[in-house]
Amino acid sequence: MNTMDLTSSPYQNSFGRSVRAFLGGSRVFWLILPAFAFFLIFFFVPVLSLFLISLDKPVAGVVEPQWSFTATNFIRFFTRDTYYGAALRSIEMATLVALITLVLGYPLAFMIARTENPGRNTFYMILVLCAMQLDMVIRLYGLMVLLGDNGLINRALLDAGWIEEPLPLMYNFSGVVIGLVQFSLPLMVLSLIGVIRSINPSLEEAARSLGATRRAAFWRIIVPLSMPGILAGSLLVFAISISSYVVPALMGGWKVIVMPIHIYQQIAELGKWQFGAAIAVVLFATSVLAVVVYQRYAAITAGGRT
Amino acid sequence: MAKVATSAELRVASQRRWSERAIPISIQIGAWVSFVILLLPVAVVVLAGLNSGDYLTFPPEGLSLRWVIAFLTSPAWMGAYGFSMALALVTMVISTVLGTAAAIVLSRYRFRGRDMLRAYFLSPLILPGVVLGLALYVFYVVTDIGLAKSMTGLVIGHVLVTCPYVIGTVSAALVAFDVSLEEAARSLGASPWTAFRRITVPNISAGVAAGATFAFIVSFGQFDVSLFLSTPNLTPLPIALYVSLRYTFEPTAAAAGIFAIILVVVSMLITSRLVSLRKFGGIKFS
Repeated sequence: MNTMDLTSSPYQNSFGRSVRAFLGGSRVFWLILPAFAFFLIFFFVPVLSLFLISLDKPVAGVVEPQWSFTATNFIRFFTRDTYYGAALRSIEMATLVALITLVLGYPLAFMIARTENPGRNTFYMILVLCAMQLDMVIRLYGLMVLLGDNGLINRALLDAGWIEEPLPLMYNFSGVVIGLVQFSLPLMVLSLIGVIRSINPSLEEAARSLGATRRAAFWRIIVPLSMPGILAGSLLVFAISISSYVVPALMGGWKVIVMPIHIYQQIAELGKWQFGAAIAVVLFATSVLAVVVYQRYAAITAGGRT
Repeated sequence: MAKVATSAELRVASQRRWSERAIPISIQIGAWVSFVILLLPVAVVVLAGLNSGDYLTFPPEGLSLRWVIAFLTSPAWMGAYGFSMALALVTMVISTVLGTAAAIVLSRYRFRGRDMLRAYFLSPLILPGVVLGLALYVFYVVTDIGLAKSMTGLVIGHVLVTCPYVIGTVSAALVAFDVSLEEAARSLGASPWTAFRRITVPNISAGVAAGATFAFIVSFGQFDVSLFLSTPNLTPLPIALYVSLRYTFEPTAAAAGIFAIILVVVSMLITSRLVSLRKFGGIKFS
């Protein structure tokens, strides 16, 4: 994306001049070249090619470009309710997940941000980071053992006589949401910690000394000041929830079909490369749209101080 | 007399301040609920892997190493584990070299377009992993340069998603490093390269090591990018686990999970020794 911007940007000349100045001035600048070339060849070229292929005439089983531009793939996507329905379901699901992780993540982030004992703080951070870094498929194993019809939770409730039938906790929409919340909660917590920690405690003390209750000080001082973290975290959670393949695949039991699952089916099972590429473009566009909405909204809440 | 009164007042004031900043009990309860959601599935995996029965019940029937031994003696599982290790190590080395070099330029020089260049290197994190894997797979097939269905092809995908973490961690270390130390070495007659090697490198090495550890663990747990790039002969652990969860759901997968959990915990302990986790305010994505 950004390479495109470079060529069309008004800074092009001065950018080129400053690069030249650097190449003349310091050889250290060359250090960036390997990474730059690597990203150009293996990231920007393939991704832009995929976008091109999505505009190609659909021919089953053929990947090679036909160079015949058409919008067929996108028209197909937006006229069949299987596909645009999946897009709407993905958006609805990711929004719900962002809201739930915010409610769950805020207290944890607040506790970690306000824990001053360095040892305990590091301990909490290690717990959150381990939960985040652990392969999601392993965490899904644990969730499936807990939530299945014969799982630990349903067994316990049945044995206690509280329910007659096992609760449908998995292989449906709510199962996918539970899985995605578990998946994205650490990212929400990490996005919030930094912002909550940077809030000057004297602001809260000032509110208290002016007669605000603790609850009022929390809701009227702390929460509004953590808005940048709330927005950044929600955006991040939205973007990774909408992109997840493995959580809907395992927790949805092929009943909750979202965009990443359509992509995989079109390509790996049906050989429809061009159409699969088009769904990938829509998926990418949706998460970019979330970033744009976030930035506009952030600009408003920050009073234009971006 | 007056002095005593002041210090007593101060003590009272500081105690009040401390209690003001204590965390409300409702927030503490909420925080621990979140910890349970984060860690309960992990605890279940450990229990399932050490359980003696075929199915996990609560309370467990008994502890045994049956599934751990099944994992350690299974060529398929050990193969996947070893493959993921090798993949993560190769990825780590390449990402660390490329990322550190890029981070040095990005944080040591001010030039027009620097923010754009930084966004350029962070962009793989914005693209959904499945889309990146697909784009690479299509690229490999169309260009036909022998990268399709190869280990190199997988490594390239993993480097793209781990390099941004290295750049982020090393940049943070470089920002914290006082450039005037290197300038002092230069003014005392050191060549630019010597000053860099003898002064800067030792000062940022903890940040580089932390970035490398992150790259390792992100690659080891990577599912999305591997989905389109793996083949039956090149199966990383997350893909093998996924296949097992879909079709057989055997407790051997939980035993494999235990070994992955150990690896993650050890890496995070190493990271916490290398860099201050307090500064870890999330990863900037834009």
